[in-house]
Amino acid sequence: MKYYIIIIFLIVGAGYPAFGEPASPPKRIVSLAPSTTEILFALGLGDNIVGVTSFCDYPQAAKEKPKIGGMSNPSLESVILLKPDLVVMTTDGNPKESKERLSALKIATYVFTARRIAELPQAIREMGVSLGVPERAEALARGIESALRKRTAWDIMGRGSNSAIRKEPVLEESNRGRSETHKKVLFIVWPDPLIVAGPGSAMDDAITLLGYENIAKEAKITYPKYSLEEVIRQSPDIIAIGKGSGMDMRAVSRGILQRMSSVPAVKNGAVCYMSDSLYRLGPRIVYGIEELAECLNSRS
Amino acid sequence: MSQLKILILFFIVLFVFFCSLVLGPKIIMPGALDDVEREILFSIRLPRVLVAFLMGTALGASGAVLQGILRNPLADPYVLGISSGASLAAALGIISGMIFLGSVTTPVLAFIGAIATGGIVGVMGIKRGGFWPERLLLAGVGMSFLCSALLMLIMSLSTDEGMRRATLWIFGDLSMSDWQRIPYGSALVLIGVVLSLSRAKALNALILGDELAHSLGFAPQRERFILFISVGLMTAASVSLGGMIGFIGLLMPHIMRFFFGADNRILIPASALGGGALLCTADLVSRTVLPPMELPAGVVTAIIGAPYFLYLLRRKDALSI
Repeated sequence: MKYYIIIIFLIVGAGYPAFGEPASPPKRIVSLAPSTTEILFALGLGDNIVGVTSFCDYPQAAKEKPKIGGMSNPSLESVILLKPDLVVMTTDGNPKESKERLSALKIATYVFTARRIAELPQAIREMGVSLGVPERAEALARGIESALRKRTAWDIMGRGSNSAIRKEPVLEESNRGRSETHKKVLFIVWPDPLIVAGPGSAMDDAITLLGYENIAKEAKITYPKYSLEEVIRQSPDIIAIGKGSGMDMRAVSRGILQRMSSVPAVKNGAVCYMSDSLYRLGPRIVYGIEELAECLNSRS
Repeated sequence: MSQLKILILFFIVLFVFFCSLVLGPKIIMPGALDDVEREILFSIRLPRVLVAFLMGTALGASGAVLQGILRNPLADPYVLGISSGASLAAALGIISGMIFLGSVTTPVLAFIGAIATGGIVGVMGIKRGGFWPERLLLAGVGMSFLCSALLMLIMSLSTDEGMRRATLWIFGDLSMSDWQRIPYGSALVLIGVVLSLSRAKALNALILGDELAHSLGFAPQRERFILFISVGLMTAASVSLGGMIGFIGLLMPHIMRFFFGADNRILIPASALGGGALLCTADLVSRTVLPPMELPAGVVTAIIGAPYFLYLLRRKDALSI
């Protein structure tokens, strides 16, 4: 009888890794995206990170970690040399082949699939479970949700479900985060050539969540090169200009704003210069939304 | 007969010009204009169409001249490496975020890059006091390779965002055309066209070979040099105004040769007008087909022009190749 029990334990113990979930957080994590790096640090796994991309610059500690290349071209060799227990990557920015190649080399990967703000808390919860830190992930996700709820029509959109996307009629039901006149907003990602935030981007999500209307929402791709003519025709009331890394956006945008000088946003000086917090789908997205809310609400 | 054809071409160009102004994602009729439409027409569409026309003119004329100087039907303004140098300089500016001259920074950088590369190629084309087409071609190809390699290096080291912006510019970007660029662009293109037209007879002679040209009373080296300067100026102006628009320089002269013959005195202006009309049309298509997005003009030009060229090629008597 004793032997049977021992044999059963041995079988179960041997099969455990096949369950696919580490019992405790992986000791050596490589992150292939700045957003996942930030989330990992927020989950308290900062010390377990052994490799990040050259664009991972937040928090400060991330800058000191060994670099493994860029987001769209990470160096697999560098990744392998770091002997990671887990490689965290995203569907939004990393090459799809990386996952197969890493699996072929028997390196465990976790793919972070959230692309929209609505999907973020749930994705964090799932990652927390897979990485063995479910309580911290739950706390982080809750924190993000409550911050979002405070500012926007978050509840009505449904927590973390994909149905949260594009539910204009439902926004009518909530007064929170709802601007009085549903004003028109343009989020400029880069002024020259004019690239704006279209449907499916975090900025578009944020604008809609705050109860405003993104004039570029009918565009066909997420970050389209937009027609200046169309901007003038749509006359946005508020323009938000995102930050390019290391650039003085005021100087760079002067030209395009001059060409748009007839739209209400420019005439009334309703142009705000944002940080890049909305560019990464991580914990700082909350600051991004706060910043955007500050910008939109104070100028509408 | 050829006078009639030229007249027809002229009217086609006017028609295209008019259409490009009126059509677009929304049609603007000149009769009843409200404020918004007036602004769109005068500060956005008009400069844009003018820039497209200038670029097309410059490229068409350069292509015709270059095919004559190099005696090569495959010559195109970019074979001299001028566009690679311009793209490299522009990409450097875009990716590093230099904006010391405001919105004309990129065109100015591109122009400097173009002239610098053109200068190097020109100098390399000189040997024993002469200006040789074969050396020009090889030097151009060499510089092209170098600049493209450096460009690819910069782009691979930049962020995805920077790379996308640089790429969009290089593929041909007329969206930032404004009135500021037009005086310089027009001046350069005008100088280039006038220069090349004044030397059109010499170009006809050069095509026959240096000895024949010499016996006809022309100084081949000097003529080649002057024509090269005109091509350099026009190509530099074109690339700095709106990035690389392919196809026009290479194939518009061939198309025009079919209609007008190979006399450069007519071919150069015909290629210029044809190039202008084609680019205006391509730009119109690029901003109308997927509104409110804009496609790169260079891509649309090739998509419109290349099938037509291939069709002409099938007709054996059509082209001089």
